[in-house]
Amino acid sequence: MIHSLFAIFIFPGFLFLCVISLAAEFIDRKVYARLQNRVGPPWFQPLADMIKLFGKEDIMPEEANPLMFKGLPIFALAAVATAFLYIPLWSPESLFSFDCDIIVVLYLLTLPTIAFFLAGWYSTSLYAMIGAIRSLTQLFAYEVPLFLGVLAPAIIANTWSLSGLIAFYRIHPVLAACNMLGFFVSIIALQGKLEKVPFDIPEAETEIVAGSFTEYSGRLLAMFRMAIAMELVVGASLFSAVFLPFGFGLPLAGAIAAYIVKIVFIILLSCLIRTLFARMRIDQMVEFCWKYLAPIALTQILINLLIKGMVL
Amino acid sequence: MSLASKVLTWARMKSPWIIHFNTGACNACDIEIVAALTPTYDVERFGVQLKGSPRHADVLVCSGPVTKQIADRVVRIYEQMAEPKFVVAVGTCACSGGVFDGCYNIRGGTNTVIPVSAYIPGCPASPEAIIDGVVKLLHSLEVAEAAATK
Repeated sequence: MIHSLFAIFIFPGFLFLCVISLAAEFIDRKVYARLQNRVGPPWFQPLADMIKLFGKEDIMPEEANPLMFKGLPIFALAAVATAFLYIPLWSPESLFSFDCDIIVVLYLLTLPTIAFFLAGWYSTSLYAMIGAIRSLTQLFAYEVPLFLGVLAPAIIANTWSLSGLIAFYRIHPVLAACNMLGFFVSIIALQGKLEKVPFDIPEAETEIVAGSFTEYSGRLLAMFRMAIAMELVVGASLFSAVFLPFGFGLPLAGAIAAYIVKIVFIILLSCLIRTLFARMRIDQMVEFCWKYLAPIALTQILINLLIKGMVL
Repeated sequence: MSLASKVLTWARMKSPWIIHFNTGACNACDIEIVAALTPTYDVERFGVQLKGSPRHADVLVCSGPVTKQIADRVVRIYEQMAEPKFVVAVGTCACSGGVFDGCYNIRGGTNTVIPVSAYIPGCPASPEAIIDGVVKLLHSLEVAEAAATK
């Protein structure tokens, strides 16, 4: 009992996730700055931002629904932190693994987007509402390619549990190389989930102030920012378990090092995408996701089905 | 000063998010403010970020004299910001009304409608001056906090 509470809240649960997501945000911002030929923020910048926001006044619009307005940031944060518990980080088994946990993780990662939508909706501000509708429109575009991409490796492995997936790829490491198309699709779809360039349409600060978060200030905004920072780490951990299932058999120190190398690699890829592209329009985004990303993800599934039928 | 308030003051100094508002400037100061935010000057070194929503911002950067038409709006933007908040007046016009002082449609400097914490003169104020002004404002904040809790 005490042991699982420690695992959930301290290590490798909530507190540990907070620390690595602040570190991930720093890496993301620093590399972004270096790619733009800037010096970039100091190492404590995400921490300072978070502490400052926690010390600020909380303003709630008069028309807003207090329960929803205050509850949704906590809801988003809790959903992401829960998803983290079901992902195998360095040991081949996650903390509370069970059959079909990959589906649960994917749906828990969808919840923050729903929370962003509801937060914008209940803010009763025009800008927030436009941002909310955009984030929901975007959800329908990137979610299907993301699910197809992440579930494709599970088709070869013939299991829907993350630990089963890792066990399978430890026996057949070469087959993990077949999933690179799905990895490519998923990492682009992750940008949409994180609402980052080129899919930062819901937050587009030059058009609609700050999207869903327009009315949020202080600690509630800090929670939303934390949820997004955590989502990056949780997404990177999920991809590292699904697409790069290496290093799980190593001794503990080696396995942790392999985990860190893998998530830093995925964060760097996401940062590179953010630097290279400009913001799309919402119609271009939906068109891109359905015309290109979804077919590529389907191709990945076709390849995996063929491999499963012929090789295995 | 207790440890918690020390940490909070440190965090506030290290992470000033700004919002830029033109209260009737000729656009020269605005160009200089935008220039100060470009990679050449890289204000993210000091944790400065430009925010779209007044709810997220800590520092309101005003440029230009306050016209009668914009006066209500600038007060409204100021009231939408969460405490603690600061105002920086950029350019001679924002400091005092400048050459427009006394015009039939002008209220005067920014301080005629909202409290101003730092004045950055210049026509237009250069990006270096703007960054220096914001850094000085943050430093004075720390000094004031230390004096208040003594």
